[in-house]
Amino acid sequence: MSVIDEILAEKDPEKIRQQTEHYYREHVNPFALRMFKNASLDIIEGKREGACVWDVSGQKYIDCVTGAGIFNVGRHNKDVVEALKKALDHYDMGGWISILRERALLAKKLADITPGNLKYSLFCCGGGEAIEVAVKLARGHTGKTEIICMENGYHGVTGFALPATGRDVYKKPFEPLAPGYTHVRFNDIQAVKDAINDDTAAVLLEPVQGEGGIRPADDQYLRQLRKLCDEKEILLIFDEVQTGFGRTGKMFCAEHSGVAPDIMVLAKSLSGGLYPISCAVFTEEISDFLMTHPFVIINSFGGTSLACLVALAAIEFIEKEGLPERARIMGERFMAGLHSLKAEYPEIVTDVRGKGLMLGIEFAEESIGPRMVYQLRKNGVITIYTFNNPKIIRIMPTLVIKEEEVDFVLEAINRSLKEVRAQEERFGQKGKGEGLKV
Amino acid sequence: MATSDEIMEALEDFKQQCNNNKRLRRMQRDWSKVLHFKATDTGDAFTMTVVEGEITKNETGTQGTPDVIIEADSETLCDMFWGDINPTQKYLKGEIKVKGSQEDIMRIDAITAIIWPEV
Repeated sequence: MSVIDEILAEKDPEKIRQQTEHYYREHVNPFALRMFKNASLDIIEGKREGACVWDVSGQKYIDCVTGAGIFNVGRHNKDVVEALKKALDHYDMGGWISILRERALLAKKLADITPGNLKYSLFCCGGGEAIEVAVKLARGHTGKTEIICMENGYHGVTGFALPATGRDVYKKPFEPLAPGYTHVRFNDIQAVKDAINDDTAAVLLEPVQGEGGIRPADDQYLRQLRKLCDEKEILLIFDEVQTGFGRTGKMFCAEHSGVAPDIMVLAKSLSGGLYPISCAVFTEEISDFLMTHPFVIINSFGGTSLACLVALAAIEFIEKEGLPERARIMGERFMAGLHSLKAEYPEIVTDVRGKGLMLGIEFAEESIGPRMVYQLRKNGVITIYTFNNPKIIRIMPTLVIKEEEVDFVLEAINRSLKEVRAQEERFGQKGKGEGLKV
Repeated sequence: MATSDEIMEALEDFKQQCNNNKRLRRMQRDWSKVLHFKATDTGDAFTMTVVEGEITKNETGTQGTPDVIIEADSETLCDMFWGDINPTQKYLKGEIKVKGSQEDIMRIDAITAIIWPEV
């Protein structure tokens, strides 16, 4: 029996759980396992389909994390799976020092669907790598070094991407980092103006900050940024790793403001949830740098034949099913329910916000985020708090979520809020002793 | 209900266990914090000072500006420092309140995971 047959043949959920946890503890990351277990997120994924995931024992959950936007087309999307199966019948990954037809076709498709004059694509595997490409292109093209980024932004944790991420906890243990990154307040045009100097190459931001707490940039701010960058001959880079491919109710979040960046970074759902791929899409003007330096940004596994075919199939599914519009409609349904819950639990819920199906719920204090995650798992929904701000939990389901599934999630949030309210009352009762002697 | 002396005894034992654990000291060498602990039922309060991963002192009352404030009933606080409970699970059930950054909460959890891996 082959190793894969052996793995797939094992059906005993308890045996699978014990073995997986044991090997995780011994050979992967014991503290991550502990945190998952403590947070009640120790779900060992079995079947995956549509908006849902089942653990190995058959317990069903609605996935509202989706790897922060990897599964826009749904979990284990059948169309994309079929595309990958067909691709595997014909191809391997393809040599990276070769010309690949599938890579050319995907680059053309991305040029067609991205806004403005974005025309060329360089491919990698993960979002952080694609941010690195964007930073290199910005520095290479302008001959300048400074990158202006946003406080609480998240752009990955690799070499040139890590300094752009706006939170010390990711950076401190690994200093010194690549220099030349300045962080300014998000949604504050004056802060960007003040940070620009003669050596500024680019402004880099997420149109909706994901890990920073689901914070959308104002459309007016983005338009001001575009104007400012044009005036100062600075590049504007949008990180659409989480917001891309229909997530916010448009194919790309940039479309809400009508602002086209000079470089757009894409990843996550470009993969169809099946095969890793990311890219930086950029203008013809920026591509001039590659004329003189054609082989300085390279990647063995970036834009393989298989990955590009899967990406083309994922984009085809998104267009065919009208997922951006679906995200807008389901997002409105969610938002109406979340506003009602905010009104019902004003002492717990302080804000609800987002765009399309990229939604965040902000709570009165930091401990409530993790506690809600814990309660929601019990109520059949997988969520997670945003890493830069645990006061906020994200609701980012697949874009194929159905009306009744939206309503199920809202009811689960309601039940979880009720339990948190009861916890607060119980804790308050215990605190009515002698008062604190401080 | 646990008395102030019982909680202090548990805190001192916790201090010994942490400071004598080389692995823990190496892991926490970049962690310097002031932690306040408050017993909600008795009103007793305690301060723990950590300097570069070493617990340098435990005191009664709230001393200095805290980086982290942990509140629970006296029995839960005592159990926590004796390693009889998993503090993160209590936190997630709302039985322990923690005010502070998520990183600090994870650091505290890492300490208990090293000292009492079976909890």
